[in-house]
Amino acid sequence: MMHSNKINSRLMALLRITALFLSVVSAVSAQPNQRQMQLFSNNCLQCHAAPHTGAPQLGNQEHWQDIIDQGEDIILKHVVEGIGGMPPLGYCSACDEQDLRQLIYLITGLPDSTIPSGESL
Amino acid sequence: MKRRQFIKGSLAIGATATFGGMAGCGPKSTEPQTPIPFKSGDPVPWVNWAGNQSCLPKWRHAPATEDQLLEILKSAKGNVRAVGAGHSFSAVVPTNDTLISTDLLSGLVSHNPKTLQATLRAGTRLNACGPILESIGQAVPNMPDMDYPSLGGALANSVHATGVDFKSMSGYIESLKLATAKGDLIECSASQNPEIFQAAKTHVGSLGVITEYTLQNQKTYDLTEVNGVENLEYVFENMDALCKQNRHFECFLIPYSSECITVSTNFAKPGDKNEGKDDPYAVNTLRSVFESTSWIPLVGDDLYGFTLSQALASEAATIRTGASYKVFAHTRIVRFREMEYTVPAELGIACGREILDTIKKKKLPLSFPIEFRYVKGDDIWLSMFEGQDGCSISIHQYGDLDYKKIFAEIEPIFWKYGGRPHWGKIHTMKAPELVKLYSRHWQDFQDVRLSLDPEGKFMNTHLKDIFGV
Repeated sequence: MMHSNKINSRLMALLRITALFLSVVSAVSAQPNQRQMQLFSNNCLQCHAAPHTGAPQLGNQEHWQDIIDQGEDIILKHVVEGIGGMPPLGYCSACDEQDLRQLIYLITGLPDSTIPSGESL
Repeated sequence: MKRRQFIKGSLAIGATATFGGMAGCGPKSTEPQTPIPFKSGDPVPWVNWAGNQSCLPKWRHAPATEDQLLEILKSAKGNVRAVGAGHSFSAVVPTNDTLISTDLLSGLVSHNPKTLQATLRAGTRLNACGPILESIGQAVPNMPDMDYPSLGGALANSVHATGVDFKSMSGYIESLKLATAKGDLIECSASQNPEIFQAAKTHVGSLGVITEYTLQNQKTYDLTEVNGVENLEYVFENMDALCKQNRHFECFLIPYSSECITVSTNFAKPGDKNEGKDDPYAVNTLRSVFESTSWIPLVGDDLYGFTLSQALASEAATIRTGASYKVFAHTRIVRFREMEYTVPAELGIACGREILDTIKKKKLPLSFPIEFRYVKGDDIWLSMFEGQDGCSISIHQYGDLDYKKIFAEIEPIFWKYGGRPHWGKIHTMKAPELVKLYSRHWQDFQDVRLSLDPEGKFMNTHLKDIFGV
Protein backbone atom coordinates (compact mmCIF):
# COMPACT_ATOMS: atom_id res chain seq x y z
CA MET A 1 0.00 0.00 0.00
CA MET A 2 1.22 3.49 -0.75
CA HIS A 3 1.00 5.97 2.11
CA SER A 4 -0.17 9.55 1.81
CA ASN A 5 1.60 12.59 3.15
CA LYS A 6 0.61 13.54 6.67
CA ILE A 7 -0.87 16.79 5.49
CA ASN A 8 -2.81 16.03 2.39
CA SER A 9 -2.58 18.10 -0.73
CA ARG A 10 -6.08 19.44 -0.28
CA LEU A 11 -5.22 21.06 3.01
CA MET A 12 -2.04 22.55 1.56
CA ALA A 13 -3.96 24.00 -1.35
CA LEU A 14 -6.45 25.42 1.08
CA LEU A 15 -3.72 27.05 3.14
CA ARG A 16 -2.33 28.70 0.01
CA ILE A 17 -5.75 30.01 -1.01
CA THR A 18 -6.42 31.32 2.46
CA ALA A 19 -2.98 32.96 2.70
CA LEU A 20 -3.71 34.72 -0.57
CA PHE A 21 -7.10 35.77 0.73
CA LEU A 22 -5.60 37.12 3.94
CA SER A 23 -2.96 39.06 2.02
CA VAL A 24 -5.49 40.96 -0.07
CA VAL A 25 -8.11 41.65 2.59
CA SER A 26 -6.51 44.10 4.96
CA ALA A 27 -9.22 43.92 7.62
CA VAL A 28 -8.85 40.19 8.20
CA SER A 29 -7.21 39.42 11.50
CA ALA A 30 -8.12 35.79 11.98
CA GLN A 31 -5.48 33.69 13.64
CA PRO A 32 -6.66 30.13 13.04
CA ASN A 33 -4.50 27.28 14.23
CA GLN A 34 -3.95 24.16 12.16
CA ARG A 35 -6.87 22.40 13.82
CA GLN A 36 -9.21 25.24 12.97
CA MET A 37 -7.89 25.33 9.42
CA GLN A 38 -8.81 21.68 9.05
CA LEU A 39 -12.27 22.35 10.46
CA PHE A 40 -12.54 25.24 7.99
CA SER A 41 -11.56 22.93 5.14
CA ASN A 42 -13.85 20.08 6.16
CA ASN A 43 -16.90 22.20 6.85
CA CYS A 44 -17.03 25.83 5.71
CA LEU A 45 -15.56 25.35 2.27
CA GLN A 46 -18.17 22.78 1.29
CA CYS A 47 -20.45 25.72 0.53
CA HIS A 48 -18.46 28.93 0.95
CA ALA A 49 -16.03 27.94 -1.80
CA ALA A 50 -18.72 26.46 -4.03
CA PRO A 51 -20.64 29.16 -5.94
CA HIS A 52 -23.38 26.79 -7.12
CA THR A 53 -24.61 26.45 -3.54
CA GLY A 54 -25.70 30.07 -3.41
CA ALA A 55 -23.80 30.60 -0.14
CA PRO A 56 -21.70 33.77 0.36
CA GLN A 57 -18.33 33.03 -1.15
CA LEU A 58 -14.93 33.28 0.48
CA GLY A 59 -13.07 36.37 -0.69
CA ASN A 60 -16.11 38.17 -2.11
CA GLN A 61 -16.61 41.09 0.27
CA GLU A 62 -19.86 42.10 -1.42
CA HIS A 63 -21.38 38.83 -0.26
CA TRP A 64 -20.42 39.46 3.33
CA GLN A 65 -21.03 43.13 4.03
CA ASP A 66 -24.68 42.79 5.10
CA ILE A 67 -23.74 39.85 7.28
CA ILE A 68 -20.80 41.68 8.88
CA ASP A 69 -23.08 44.62 9.64
CA GLN A 70 -25.16 42.38 11.92
CA GLY A 71 -22.26 42.06 14.34
CA GLU A 72 -20.22 39.15 15.58
CA ASP A 73 -22.66 37.81 18.18
CA ILE A 74 -25.57 37.67 15.76
CA ILE A 75 -23.37 35.95 13.18
CA LEU A 76 -22.35 33.44 15.82
CA LYS A 77 -26.00 32.83 16.75
CA HIS A 78 -26.86 32.21 13.10
CA VAL A 79 -23.93 29.85 12.68
CA VAL A 80 -24.90 27.79 15.73
CA GLU A 81 -28.62 27.71 14.95
CA GLY A 82 -28.28 27.58 11.18
CA ILE A 83 -29.89 30.05 8.83
CA GLY A 84 -31.32 29.74 5.33
CA GLY A 85 -29.50 26.92 3.60
CA MET A 86 -26.78 26.82 6.24
CA PRO A 87 -27.19 23.92 8.68
CA PRO A 88 -26.71 24.26 12.45
CA LEU A 89 -23.04 24.68 13.36
CA GLY A 90 -22.22 24.89 9.66
CA TYR A 91 -21.78 21.11 9.80
CA CYS A 92 -18.97 21.45 12.35
CA SER A 93 -19.71 19.00 15.14
CA ALA A 94 -16.19 19.46 16.49
CA CYS A 95 -16.38 23.25 16.84
CA ASP A 96 -16.56 25.02 20.18
CA GLU A 97 -17.37 28.71 20.49
CA GLN A 98 -13.73 29.75 20.08
CA ASP A 99 -13.42 27.68 16.91
CA LEU A 100 -16.61 29.13 15.47
CA ARG A 101 -15.47 32.71 16.19
CA GLN A 102 -12.13 32.10 14.46
CA LEU A 103 -13.87 30.59 11.46
CA ILE A 104 -16.20 33.60 11.33
CA TYR A 105 -13.22 35.98 11.34
CA LEU A 106 -11.53 33.91 8.69
CA ILE A 107 -14.43 33.68 6.31
CA THR A 108 -16.03 37.10 6.71
CA GLY A 109 -12.94 39.23 7.25
CA LEU A 110 -14.42 40.48 10.53
CA PRO A 111 -11.67 41.72 12.89
CA ASP A 112 -10.84 39.41 15.80
CA SER A 113 -12.55 41.05 18.77
CA THR A 114 -10.14 39.41 21.19
CA ILE A 115 -7.16 41.29 19.77
CA PRO A 116 -6.77 44.78 21.31
CA SER A 117 -7.38 47.59 18.82
CA GLY A 118 -4.21 48.75 17.04
CA GLU A 119 -2.26 45.60 17.80
CA SER A 120 -0.66 44.22 14.68
CA LEU A 121 -0.63 40.56 13.78
CA MET B 1 -37.58 16.28 -18.79
CA LYS B 2 -35.57 17.76 -16.05
CA ARG B 3 -36.03 17.07 -12.41
CA ARG B 4 -35.59 20.51 -10.92
CA GLN B 5 -35.69 23.09 -13.63
CA PHE B 6 -39.16 21.94 -14.64
CA ILE B 7 -40.56 23.36 -11.48
CA LYS B 8 -38.70 26.60 -11.81
CA GLY B 9 -39.79 27.07 -15.41
CA SER B 10 -43.24 27.13 -16.86
CA LEU B 11 -44.89 25.66 -13.81
CA ALA B 12 -43.65 28.37 -11.53
CA ILE B 13 -44.47 31.16 -13.93
CA GLY B 14 -47.85 29.83 -14.96
CA ALA B 15 -49.17 28.47 -11.75
CA THR B 16 -47.92 31.07 -9.36
CA ALA B 17 -49.14 33.80 -11.67
CA THR B 18 -52.56 32.22 -11.77
CA PHE B 19 -52.80 31.37 -8.11
CA GLY B 20 -50.34 33.84 -6.70
CA GLY B 21 -53.05 35.75 -4.94
CA MET B 22 -53.95 32.63 -3.03
CA ALA B 23 -50.46 31.92 -1.83
CA GLY B 24 -50.12 31.60 1.90
CA CYS B 25 -53.14 29.38 2.25
CA GLY B 26 -50.96 26.33 2.76
CA PRO B 27 -49.71 24.95 6.05
CA LYS B 28 -47.93 27.40 8.29
CA SER B 29 -44.41 26.85 9.52
CA THR B 30 -44.57 24.98 12.78
CA GLU B 31 -40.99 23.92 13.36
CA PRO B 32 -38.42 26.31 14.84
CA GLN B 33 -35.12 26.98 13.11
CA THR B 34 -33.36 25.22 15.98
CA PRO B 35 -34.54 23.10 18.91
CA ILE B 36 -32.05 24.88 21.19
CA PRO B 37 -31.99 28.68 20.75
CA PHE B 38 -28.49 30.03 21.24
CA LYS B 39 -26.98 33.31 22.33
CA SER B 40 -23.35 34.25 22.85
CA GLY B 41 -22.07 32.85 26.11
CA ASP B 42 -24.39 29.82 26.16
CA PRO B 43 -22.87 26.36 25.84
CA VAL B 44 -22.71 25.43 22.17
CA PRO B 45 -25.29 22.68 21.56
CA TRP B 46 -25.00 19.90 19.04
CA VAL B 47 -27.79 19.99 16.46
CA ASN B 48 -28.16 17.77 13.40
CA TRP B 49 -28.51 19.00 9.81
CA ALA B 50 -32.28 18.64 9.81
CA GLY B 51 -32.67 20.44 13.13
CA ASN B 52 -34.79 17.68 14.67
CA GLN B 53 -32.11 16.20 16.95
CA SER B 54 -30.00 18.00 19.51
CA CYS B 55 -28.13 17.65 22.77
CA LEU B 56 -25.90 19.48 25.23
CA PRO B 57 -23.01 17.10 25.94
CA LYS B 58 -21.07 17.63 29.14
CA TRP B 59 -17.85 16.49 27.49
CA ARG B 60 -16.92 17.07 23.85
CA HIS B 61 -13.85 15.74 22.11
CA ALA B 62 -12.38 15.98 18.64
CA PRO B 63 -9.37 13.66 18.52
CA ALA B 64 -6.89 14.12 15.71
CA THR B 65 -5.20 10.73 16.07
CA GLU B 66 -6.18 7.16 16.90
CA ASP B 67 -4.10 7.34 20.08
CA GLN B 68 -6.00 10.40 21.26
CA LEU B 69 -9.28 8.65 20.51
CA LEU B 70 -8.27 5.54 22.47
CA GLU B 71 -7.28 7.64 25.49
CA ILE B 72 -10.61 9.46 25.33
CA LEU B 73 -12.52 6.17 25.20
CA LYS B 74 -10.62 4.70 28.14
CA SER B 75 -11.58 7.60 30.39
CA ALA B 76 -14.91 8.59 28.84
CA LYS B 77 -17.72 9.27 31.26
CA GLY B 78 -21.33 8.24 30.86
CA ASN B 79 -22.88 7.50 27.54
CA VAL B 80 -20.55 7.94 24.54
CA ARG B 81 -21.58 8.76 21.00
CA ALA B 82 -19.57 9.59 17.90
CA VAL B 83 -20.63 12.09 15.27
CA GLY B 84 -19.48 12.96 11.78
CA ALA B 85 -21.37 15.56 9.78
CA GLY B 86 -24.59 15.13 11.77
CA HIS B 87 -26.65 14.27 8.73
CA SER B 88 -28.74 11.51 10.32
CA PHE B 89 -32.39 12.27 10.95
CA SER B 90 -32.86 9.61 13.62
CA ALA B 91 -31.59 10.08 17.18
CA VAL B 92 -28.41 8.08 16.69
CA VAL B 93 -26.16 10.88 17.96
CA PRO B 94 -27.68 12.74 20.94
CA THR B 95 -26.01 12.24 24.29
CA ASN B 96 -25.79 14.57 27.23
CA ASP B 97 -22.55 12.89 28.35
CA THR B 98 -19.62 12.37 25.95
CA LEU B 99 -19.74 13.37 22.28
CA ILE B 100 -16.77 12.54 20.06
CA SER B 101 -16.47 14.30 16.71
CA THR B 102 -14.53 12.48 14.00
CA ASP B 103 -13.96 15.67 12.01
CA LEU B 104 -10.20 15.67 12.52
CA LEU B 105 -9.81 11.98 11.77
CA SER B 106 -9.99 12.57 8.04
CA GLY B 107 -7.98 12.09 4.89
CA LEU B 108 -6.26 9.35 2.93
CA VAL B 109 -4.12 6.81 4.79
CA SER B 110 -2.87 4.58 1.99
CA HIS B 111 -3.84 3.02 -1.30
CA ASN B 112 -3.03 0.12 -3.56
CA PRO B 113 -3.02 0.82 -7.30
CA LYS B 114 -3.11 -2.87 -8.17
CA THR B 115 -6.16 -3.86 -6.16
CA LEU B 116 -7.76 -0.40 -6.46
CA GLN B 117 -8.31 -0.32 -2.74
CA ALA B 118 -7.86 2.78 -0.60
CA THR B 119 -7.84 3.34 3.15
CA LEU B 120 -9.56 6.51 4.33
CA ARG B 121 -10.04 7.88 7.81
CA ALA B 122 -13.64 7.60 8.92
CA GLY B 123 -14.16 11.33 9.45
CA THR B 124 -13.52 12.07 5.78
CA ARG B 125 -16.55 13.69 4.24
CA LEU B 126 -17.97 12.04 1.17
CA ASN B 127 -17.39 15.27 -0.75
CA ALA B 128 -13.70 15.00 0.04
CA CYS B 129 -13.49 11.32 -0.91
CA GLY B 130 -14.09 12.05 -4.59
CA PRO B 131 -11.13 14.41 -5.14
CA ILE B 132 -8.87 12.38 -2.85
CA LEU B 133 -9.59 9.14 -4.68
CA GLU B 134 -9.36 10.88 -8.06
CA SER B 135 -5.83 11.98 -7.20
CA ILE B 136 -4.82 8.31 -6.91
CA GLY B 137 -6.80 7.14 -9.94
CA GLN B 138 -9.70 5.62 -8.01
CA ALA B 139 -13.41 6.25 -7.54
CA VAL B 140 -16.15 4.63 -5.49
CA PRO B 141 -18.49 2.44 -7.57
CA ASN B 142 -21.59 4.26 -6.38
CA MET B 143 -22.48 7.16 -4.12
CA PRO B 144 -25.58 8.81 -2.65
CA ASP B 145 -27.05 11.85 -4.36
CA MET B 146 -25.68 14.19 -1.71
CA ASP B 147 -22.19 14.09 -0.32
CA TYR B 148 -22.21 15.94 3.00
CA PRO B 149 -22.04 12.97 5.43
CA SER B 150 -18.81 11.58 6.78
CA LEU B 151 -17.64 8.19 5.62
CA GLY B 152 -18.04 6.81 9.14
CA GLY B 153 -21.60 8.03 9.49
CA ALA B 154 -22.55 6.84 6.03
CA LEU B 155 -21.11 3.35 6.42
CA ALA B 156 -22.41 2.84 9.95
CA ASN B 157 -25.92 3.17 8.53
CA SER B 158 -25.58 1.36 5.18
CA VAL B 159 -25.94 4.53 3.17
CA HIS B 160 -26.81 3.67 -0.41
CA ALA B 161 -27.51 5.12 -3.80
CA THR B 162 -29.44 3.50 -6.63
CA GLY B 163 -28.64 0.77 -9.14
CA VAL B 164 -29.76 -2.85 -9.28
CA ASP B 165 -26.16 -4.00 -9.71
CA PHE B 166 -24.79 -1.98 -6.78
CA LYS B 167 -24.78 -2.72 -3.08
CA SER B 168 -24.93 -0.07 -0.40
CA MET B 169 -21.62 1.68 0.30
CA SER B 170 -21.10 -0.68 3.24
CA GLY B 171 -20.96 -3.54 0.74
CA TYR B 172 -17.61 -2.28 -0.56
CA ILE B 173 -15.77 -2.29 2.78
CA GLU B 174 -12.70 -4.56 2.63
CA SER B 175 -11.42 -3.93 6.14
CA LEU B 176 -11.77 -1.48 9.01
CA LYS B 177 -10.29 -0.45 12.35
CA LEU B 178 -12.60 -0.28 15.34
CA ALA B 179 -11.85 1.61 18.56
CA THR B 180 -13.78 -0.08 21.36
CA ALA B 181 -15.31 1.00 24.65
CA LYS B 182 -12.26 -0.37 26.48
CA GLY B 183 -9.90 1.70 24.38
CA ASP B 184 -8.63 -1.14 22.22
CA LEU B 185 -8.10 -0.90 18.49
CA ILE B 186 -9.30 -3.94 16.55
CA GLU B 187 -8.43 -4.58 12.92
CA CYS B 188 -11.19 -6.43 11.08
CA SER B 189 -11.67 -7.97 7.68
CA ALA B 190 -13.16 -11.12 6.20
CA SER B 191 -10.11 -13.03 7.47
CA GLN B 192 -9.32 -11.10 10.65
CA ASN B 193 -11.97 -10.94 13.37
CA PRO B 194 -14.57 -11.84 10.73
CA GLU B 195 -17.59 -11.78 13.05
CA ILE B 196 -16.77 -8.31 14.32
CA PHE B 197 -16.17 -7.26 10.72
CA GLN B 198 -19.56 -8.55 9.63
CA ALA B 199 -21.25 -6.69 12.46
CA ALA B 200 -19.25 -3.48 12.13
CA LYS B 201 -20.06 -2.95 8.46
CA THR B 202 -23.46 -1.65 9.57
CA HIS B 203 -23.44 -1.04 13.31
CA VAL B 204 -25.29 2.27 13.86
CA GLY B 205 -22.36 3.36 16.01
CA SER B 206 -23.11 0.71 18.60
CA LEU B 207 -19.81 -1.20 18.56
CA GLY B 208 -17.41 1.70 19.05
CA VAL B 209 -15.78 4.32 16.86
CA ILE B 210 -14.43 3.21 13.50
CA THR B 211 -11.25 5.10 12.62
CA GLU B 212 -10.41 3.80 9.15
CA TYR B 213 -12.08 1.99 6.29
CA THR B 214 -10.42 0.25 3.36
CA LEU B 215 -12.76 0.40 0.40
CA GLN B 216 -12.86 -1.56 -2.82
CA ASN B 217 -12.91 1.06 -5.52
CA GLN B 218 -12.53 1.09 -9.27
CA LYS B 219 -10.66 3.22 -11.76
CA THR B 220 -11.90 6.78 -12.17
CA TYR B 221 -14.76 7.15 -14.60
CA ASP B 222 -17.10 9.77 -15.97
CA LEU B 223 -20.87 9.67 -15.86
CA THR B 224 -23.72 11.40 -17.60
CA GLU B 225 -26.98 11.90 -15.72
CA VAL B 226 -30.20 12.63 -17.59
CA ASN B 227 -33.13 14.02 -15.63
CA GLY B 228 -36.50 13.76 -17.27
CA VAL B 229 -40.24 13.51 -16.70
CA GLU B 230 -42.23 10.46 -17.65
CA ASN B 231 -45.71 9.17 -17.09
CA LEU B 232 -45.67 7.30 -13.80
CA GLU B 233 -47.60 4.31 -15.16
CA TYR B 234 -45.14 3.97 -18.02
CA VAL B 235 -42.23 3.98 -15.57
CA PHE B 236 -43.83 1.46 -13.23
CA GLU B 237 -44.72 -0.85 -16.13
CA ASN B 238 -41.19 -0.65 -17.56
CA MET B 239 -39.25 -0.52 -14.31
CA ASP B 240 -37.29 -3.74 -14.86
CA ALA B 241 -36.14 -2.64 -18.29
CA LEU B 242 -35.28 0.90 -17.14
CA CYS B 243 -33.22 -0.48 -14.27
CA LYS B 244 -31.38 -2.91 -16.54
CA GLN B 245 -30.80 -0.43 -19.35
CA ASN B 246 -29.17 2.15 -17.11
CA ARG B 247 -26.18 1.86 -14.78
CA HIS B 248 -28.28 3.77 -12.27
CA PHE B 249 -31.98 4.51 -12.45
CA GLU B 250 -34.27 6.14 -9.94
CA CYS B 251 -37.49 8.08 -9.99
CA PHE B 252 -39.22 10.65 -7.87
CA LEU B 253 -42.92 10.08 -7.37
CA ILE B 254 -44.84 13.33 -7.18
CA PRO B 255 -47.85 13.24 -4.87
CA TYR B 256 -51.11 14.08 -6.66
CA SER B 257 -49.46 13.85 -10.09
CA SER B 258 -49.62 11.23 -12.83
CA GLU B 259 -46.06 12.16 -13.80
CA CYS B 260 -42.78 11.32 -12.16
CA ILE B 261 -39.22 12.57 -12.44
CA THR B 262 -36.70 10.08 -13.75
CA VAL B 263 -32.94 10.09 -13.27
CA SER B 264 -30.91 7.83 -15.56
CA THR B 265 -27.14 7.74 -15.12
CA ASN B 266 -24.65 5.95 -17.34
CA PHE B 267 -21.01 6.03 -18.36
CA ALA B 268 -20.35 9.28 -20.21
CA LYS B 269 -19.94 9.10 -23.96
CA PRO B 270 -17.76 11.35 -26.10
CA GLY B 271 -19.64 14.52 -26.88
CA ASP B 272 -21.89 14.47 -23.81
CA LYS B 273 -22.52 18.03 -22.65
CA ASN B 274 -24.21 19.68 -19.71
CA GLU B 275 -27.66 21.04 -20.48
CA GLY B 276 -29.70 23.09 -18.05
CA LYS B 277 -28.86 23.63 -14.42
CA ASP B 278 -29.49 21.78 -11.22
CA ASP B 279 -31.80 23.97 -9.12
CA PRO B 280 -31.60 23.08 -5.42
CA TYR B 281 -34.50 25.44 -4.65
CA ALA B 282 -36.94 23.81 -7.07
CA VAL B 283 -38.74 21.94 -4.30
CA ASN B 284 -39.62 25.29 -2.73
CA THR B 285 -41.35 26.35 -5.91
CA LEU B 286 -43.21 23.07 -6.03
CA ARG B 287 -44.33 23.72 -2.48
CA SER B 288 -45.60 27.21 -3.26
CA VAL B 289 -47.64 25.91 -6.19
CA PHE B 290 -49.05 23.12 -4.03
CA GLU B 291 -49.98 25.55 -1.29
CA SER B 292 -51.55 27.89 -3.82
CA THR B 293 -53.87 25.28 -5.26
CA SER B 294 -54.41 22.31 -3.01
CA TRP B 295 -56.52 24.15 -0.43
CA ILE B 296 -59.25 25.03 -2.93
CA PRO B 297 -62.42 23.14 -1.91
CA LEU B 298 -63.38 20.11 -3.98
CA VAL B 299 -60.92 20.65 -6.83
CA GLY B 300 -57.68 21.69 -5.17
CA ASP B 301 -55.83 18.38 -5.34
CA ASP B 302 -56.95 17.68 -8.87
CA LEU B 303 -56.12 21.21 -9.94
CA TYR B 304 -52.62 20.85 -8.55
CA GLY B 305 -52.13 17.55 -10.32
CA PHE B 306 -53.46 18.94 -13.59
CA THR B 307 -51.32 22.08 -13.36
CA LEU B 308 -48.28 20.00 -12.63
CA SER B 309 -48.91 17.61 -15.51
CA GLN B 310 -49.40 20.46 -17.97
CA ALA B 311 -46.23 22.18 -16.85
CA LEU B 312 -44.18 19.02 -16.87
CA ALA B 313 -45.34 17.88 -20.30
CA SER B 314 -43.41 20.54 -22.22
CA GLU B 315 -40.05 20.27 -20.50
CA ALA B 316 -36.79 19.07 -22.02
CA ALA B 317 -34.15 17.00 -20.28
CA THR B 318 -31.45 18.27 -17.96
CA ILE B 319 -28.10 16.66 -18.49
CA ARG B 320 -25.11 16.65 -16.15
CA THR B 321 -21.85 15.07 -17.16
CA GLY B 322 -18.39 14.81 -15.64
CA ALA B 323 -16.36 12.93 -13.06
CA SER B 324 -18.49 10.29 -11.32
CA TYR B 325 -18.34 11.86 -7.87
CA LYS B 326 -19.44 15.23 -9.24
CA VAL B 327 -22.39 13.75 -11.12
CA PHE B 328 -23.61 11.55 -8.26
CA ALA B 329 -23.79 14.46 -5.82
CA HIS B 330 -26.37 17.24 -5.84
CA THR B 331 -26.55 20.40 -3.77
CA ARG B 332 -28.97 20.14 -0.86
CA ILE B 333 -29.90 23.54 0.55
CA VAL B 334 -33.59 23.18 1.34
CA ARG B 335 -33.90 21.62 4.75
CA PHE B 336 -36.20 18.64 5.17
CA ARG B 337 -36.94 15.65 7.40
CA GLU B 338 -36.86 12.19 5.93
CA MET B 339 -38.25 8.72 6.58
CA GLU B 340 -37.04 5.85 4.42
CA TYR B 341 -37.87 2.17 4.36
CA THR B 342 -36.52 -0.56 2.13
CA VAL B 343 -39.05 -3.15 1.02
CA PRO B 344 -38.27 -6.33 -0.95
CA ALA B 345 -37.52 -5.22 -4.52
CA GLU B 346 -40.46 -7.11 -6.00
CA LEU B 347 -42.89 -5.27 -3.70
CA GLY B 348 -41.58 -1.76 -4.35
CA ILE B 349 -44.09 -0.70 -6.98
CA ALA B 350 -47.10 -1.98 -5.02
CA CYS B 351 -45.83 -0.15 -1.94
CA GLY B 352 -45.23 3.03 -3.92
CA ARG B 353 -48.70 2.90 -5.39
CA GLU B 354 -50.31 2.44 -1.98
CA ILE B 355 -48.38 5.41 -0.58
CA LEU B 356 -49.51 7.68 -3.43
CA ASP B 357 -53.10 6.45 -3.11
CA THR B 358 -53.06 7.06 0.64
CA ILE B 359 -51.71 10.59 0.26
CA LYS B 360 -54.47 11.40 -2.20
CA LYS B 361 -57.25 9.61 -0.35
CA LYS B 362 -56.40 11.21 2.98
CA LYS B 363 -55.46 14.54 1.39
CA LEU B 364 -52.14 14.59 3.17
CA PRO B 365 -50.38 17.94 2.79
CA LEU B 366 -47.29 16.53 1.10
CA SER B 367 -45.78 17.93 -2.08
CA PHE B 368 -42.15 16.94 -1.62
CA PRO B 369 -41.20 14.31 -4.25
CA ILE B 370 -40.84 10.74 -2.99
CA GLU B 371 -37.54 9.10 -3.90
CA PHE B 372 -37.76 5.58 -5.31
CA ARG B 373 -34.56 3.55 -5.72
CA TYR B 374 -33.31 -0.01 -6.12
CA VAL B 375 -30.28 -1.49 -4.34
CA LYS B 376 -28.61 -4.89 -4.67
CA GLY B 377 -28.84 -7.31 -1.75
CA ASP B 378 -25.89 -8.13 0.50
CA ASP B 379 -24.93 -10.32 3.44
CA ILE B 380 -24.26 -7.64 6.06
CA TRP B 381 -26.04 -8.59 9.25
CA LEU B 382 -27.91 -5.33 9.89
CA SER B 383 -27.96 -3.91 6.38
CA MET B 384 -31.42 -2.99 5.11
CA PHE B 385 -30.50 -5.11 2.07
CA GLU B 386 -29.42 -8.20 3.97
CA GLY B 387 -30.48 -11.31 2.08
CA GLN B 388 -32.58 -9.53 -0.52
CA ASP B 389 -32.53 -6.93 -3.25
CA GLY B 390 -34.35 -3.87 -2.00
CA CYS B 391 -36.50 -0.98 -3.14
CA SER B 392 -35.84 2.05 -0.95
CA ILE B 393 -38.66 4.58 -0.74
CA SER B 394 -37.99 7.94 0.92
CA ILE B 395 -40.64 10.30 2.24
CA HIS B 396 -39.58 13.91 2.86
CA GLN B 397 -41.29 16.85 4.50
CA TYR B 398 -40.03 20.45 4.51
CA GLY B 399 -37.99 21.29 7.57
CA ASP B 400 -40.33 24.00 8.83
CA LEU B 401 -43.47 21.85 8.65
CA ASP B 402 -44.69 19.15 10.97
CA TYR B 403 -43.69 15.75 9.62
CA LYS B 404 -44.99 13.50 12.37
CA LYS B 405 -48.64 13.23 11.30
CA ILE B 406 -47.79 12.52 7.67
CA PHE B 407 -45.06 10.01 8.50
CA ALA B 408 -47.43 8.30 10.93
CA GLU B 409 -49.95 7.81 8.12
CA ILE B 410 -47.38 6.36 5.73
CA GLU B 411 -45.13 4.32 8.02
CA PRO B 412 -47.66 1.46 8.52
CA ILE B 413 -47.75 0.98 4.75
CA PHE B 414 -44.04 0.19 4.84
CA TRP B 415 -44.63 -2.29 7.67
CA LYS B 416 -47.30 -4.03 5.61
CA TYR B 417 -44.70 -4.70 2.89
CA GLY B 418 -42.02 -5.92 5.29
CA GLY B 419 -40.06 -2.69 5.11
CA ARG B 420 -36.83 -2.21 7.01
CA PRO B 421 -36.17 1.34 8.21
CA HIS B 422 -33.04 3.24 7.23
CA TRP B 423 -31.07 3.41 10.48
CA GLY B 424 -30.16 7.06 9.98
CA LYS B 425 -33.61 8.27 9.06
CA ILE B 426 -36.83 8.82 10.97
CA HIS B 427 -38.78 5.74 12.01
CA THR B 428 -40.58 4.47 15.09
CA MET B 429 -39.58 0.80 15.08
CA LYS B 430 -38.12 -0.76 18.19
CA ALA B 431 -36.30 -3.99 19.01
CA PRO B 432 -39.34 -6.32 19.21
CA GLU B 433 -40.30 -5.45 15.64
CA LEU B 434 -36.77 -5.12 14.28
CA VAL B 435 -35.71 -8.56 15.46
CA LYS B 436 -38.33 -10.06 13.13
CA LEU B 437 -36.97 -8.13 10.16
CA TYR B 438 -33.40 -9.24 10.83
CA SER B 439 -34.11 -12.71 12.15
CA ARG B 440 -31.10 -14.36 10.47
CA HIS B 441 -28.39 -12.41 12.27
CA TRP B 442 -30.00 -10.25 14.96
CA GLN B 443 -28.63 -12.40 17.77
CA ASP B 444 -25.22 -12.72 16.08
CA PHE B 445 -25.00 -8.96 16.09
CA GLN B 446 -26.10 -8.66 19.71
CA ASP B 447 -23.48 -11.22 20.73
CA VAL B 448 -20.72 -9.19 19.10
CA ARG B 449 -22.06 -5.96 20.57
CA LEU B 450 -22.22 -7.36 24.09
CA SER B 451 -18.72 -8.81 23.81
CA LEU B 452 -17.30 -5.43 22.83
CA ASP B 453 -19.43 -3.15 25.01
CA PRO B 454 -20.92 -5.17 27.89
CA GLU B 455 -21.72 -2.03 29.87
CA GLY B 456 -23.58 -0.37 27.02
CA LYS B 457 -21.31 2.64 26.86
CA PHE B 458 -22.40 3.41 23.31
CA MET B 459 -26.11 3.00 24.00
CA ASN B 460 -28.04 6.26 24.01
CA THR B 461 -31.81 6.32 24.44
CA HIS B 462 -32.48 5.66 20.76
CA LEU B 463 -30.02 2.78 20.49
CA LYS B 464 -31.45 1.21 23.62
CA ASP B 465 -34.83 1.30 21.94
CA ILE B 466 -33.72 -0.24 18.66
CA PHE B 467 -31.47 -2.87 20.24
CA GLY B 468 -33.72 -3.67 23.17
CA VAL B 469 -31.19 -2.82 25.88
